[in-house]
Amino acid sequence: MSLLHLAWCYFRSRALLAMSALAIALGVAVLFAVLAVVNGFLAQVESTIRDFSGDAVVAAIPERLAPEAELQDYLDALEAVEGLESQQPRLNYYGLIGRRGARAIDDPRTTDLSGLLLVGLDRLPEGMKRLQADPQLEAVAFGPEEVPPGAILVGKVLAAKAGVGVGDSLMVISFKRGSQGYPVPVQTSFRVEAVFTTGRYDHDIDRAIVRREDLALMIGDGLGFNEIGLRGRPGLAPEQLADRAEAALLAAGLKQKGWPMLVSTWRAQGGNFLRAVENQKGILSAVFFCIVLVAAYQLVATLALTVTEKRRDIGVLGALGAAPGRIVTFFVSLGLVIAAVGSALGLLIGTWLTANLEWVQDRIFGERIFNAETYIFDHVPVAVDWSSVLILLGATLGAALVFSFLPAWLAARLNIVDALRR
Amino acid sequence: MSDSAAAPAVLQALDLHKTYFMGGAELRVLRGASMELRAGEVAALRGASGSGKSTLLHLLGLLDRLDEGEVAFNGRPTRRLSQSARARLRASTIGFVFQQFQLLPELSALENVLVPRRLACGMSWFRRRGLERANARALLGTVGLSDRLGHRPGQLSGGEQQRVAIARALISRPAALLADEPTGSLDRKAGAEVLELLLELAQENHTAVLLTTHDPEIAARCSRVLHLEEGRVRQE
Repeated sequence: MSLLHLAWCYFRSRALLAMSALAIALGVAVLFAVLAVVNGFLAQVESTIRDFSGDAVVAAIPERLAPEAELQDYLDALEAVEGLESQQPRLNYYGLIGRRGARAIDDPRTTDLSGLLLVGLDRLPEGMKRLQADPQLEAVAFGPEEVPPGAILVGKVLAAKAGVGVGDSLMVISFKRGSQGYPVPVQTSFRVEAVFTTGRYDHDIDRAIVRREDLALMIGDGLGFNEIGLRGRPGLAPEQLADRAEAALLAAGLKQKGWPMLVSTWRAQGGNFLRAVENQKGILSAVFFCIVLVAAYQLVATLALTVTEKRRDIGVLGALGAAPGRIVTFFVSLGLVIAAVGSALGLLIGTWLTANLEWVQDRIFGERIFNAETYIFDHVPVAVDWSSVLILLGATLGAALVFSFLPAWLAARLNIVDALRR
Repeated sequence: MSDSAAAPAVLQALDLHKTYFMGGAELRVLRGASMELRAGEVAALRGASGSGKSTLLHLLGLLDRLDEGEVAFNGRPTRRLSQSARARLRASTIGFVFQQFQLLPELSALENVLVPRRLACGMSWFRRRGLERANARALLGTVGLSDRLGHRPGQLSGGEQQRVAIARALISRPAALLADEPTGSLDRKAGAEVLELLLELAQENHTAVLLTTHDPEIAARCSRVLHLEEGRVRQE
């Protein structure tokens, strides 16, 4: 029989206290779900950027084509970087495609053109999945394979927009430097080898992968590269990998050779966007924690009412030897019990909510409030960051402690004899 | 009787004064009340309604503050003690039995009996709780409630509730037990049983008992009868 046990007995027998716990539970559940979605969003963004771009990128500045003859020097220098798992040269270039059945792509009157980023690669990157012929089946990861000659792999939204599927031919228009220095349009027909998804709407709508040699041939500058993607071993921070790569290039005298090369991490590349999401996460956390605070604040009223209703019991405890400090401890314990039960219930509701978010959207809103066009992803990503959850729980209990203190102090000030006479 | 007369005074009240102010009017309840209780002694305190019996009991039990005078337990004065020290003294030395039982309704009979021990033990409770629970079970067995340990007050009769209250008052083996009309809310039969039990247990524990009563039959069962008249205590 401890004071905490007595507080628990009080809690069990009073519906008002349970309602207080429920208010806290709802606040905690909503904040838990919001944090899980924002964390999931961040994790998904990070994962897709990283999978597609690698941990770090060595890029030519300005975006010029470095000649193939220099590639091996760069690859050799970077090969010595400690912790490097793989590296891949890339050639990025912009192009246009026309919708299937539209007028000829070189017809200046056509309006059915879509811009895209042509990514010239030797091997397929990680993190991409191949859509299956049966749309009901889930996309499967590509194996470690080379990009076939004459082939193009198209993002799923782009493929739908252009109306092409596997096996179709796709005319791509781009520009090469003419003899007078002016850009000259060129067009090349590719065979659609696969339709892929990266899990990110903004990548799936404007990316197509071709063989680096084919792209170099198309733009007529000879084989070359403008990026080298680096992937580090698990556990190696991207910033560390980038620093080591930069040091290796400097040591090999390659950083300023030919075209200046800049080494950056995937995090720096998506820096502004990630910072914006982090800021939104902070703002959302603060706003929703205010809801938890309001829920915890009503403990003042609930406990003050309990003190009034339980004056006689407080008198009895005093008569039996409870010092004022013990009375304070008892009511603060009661506040903590309410907050703890509310938090535990909130975690359960929040966990269920995050696990069934799609179902909840369908049932409550009748439609998906998170759509891919707006939120980049075609599903609601969820990731529970338990350190944030612990902070949330600690802050909730802390707030309950503070808000319980005033009614607890009022209870301790009661005159025992007056309280017993009630 | 002769034993208690030779025993040292457990509780001494000397020249107690207490005045209440109600709506501007001054109500002098105690005007120099003095008395003492010895170990093992059972005294009845009688007096007309409103004579200040409960007030005297509250002052003796350190539940209220004196205007003047001194209350001492085992020769130790209490007037200058802090609230916390008075609470500790209540937990360790004084047992209370109230007319309205005053059990905590959310707790079982066993848990109600354990409350004073929890308050008296402090941090040592966690080491002693097994022993304390065994003692409380045994005491509830002694008052005839071994089959009612898990019952809440609302599930017990008035007589059973007062038995729980007696067990709660005696669990800490207090030097003094103060009972405010302990049979006042019970029928004659239950009242007689409860009184019998109270006197028997107090005698076993060598506890000094002061009980207030209007009932001359109950007073006649006590070793000494005190009268409270005009704010002073007079021995019969």
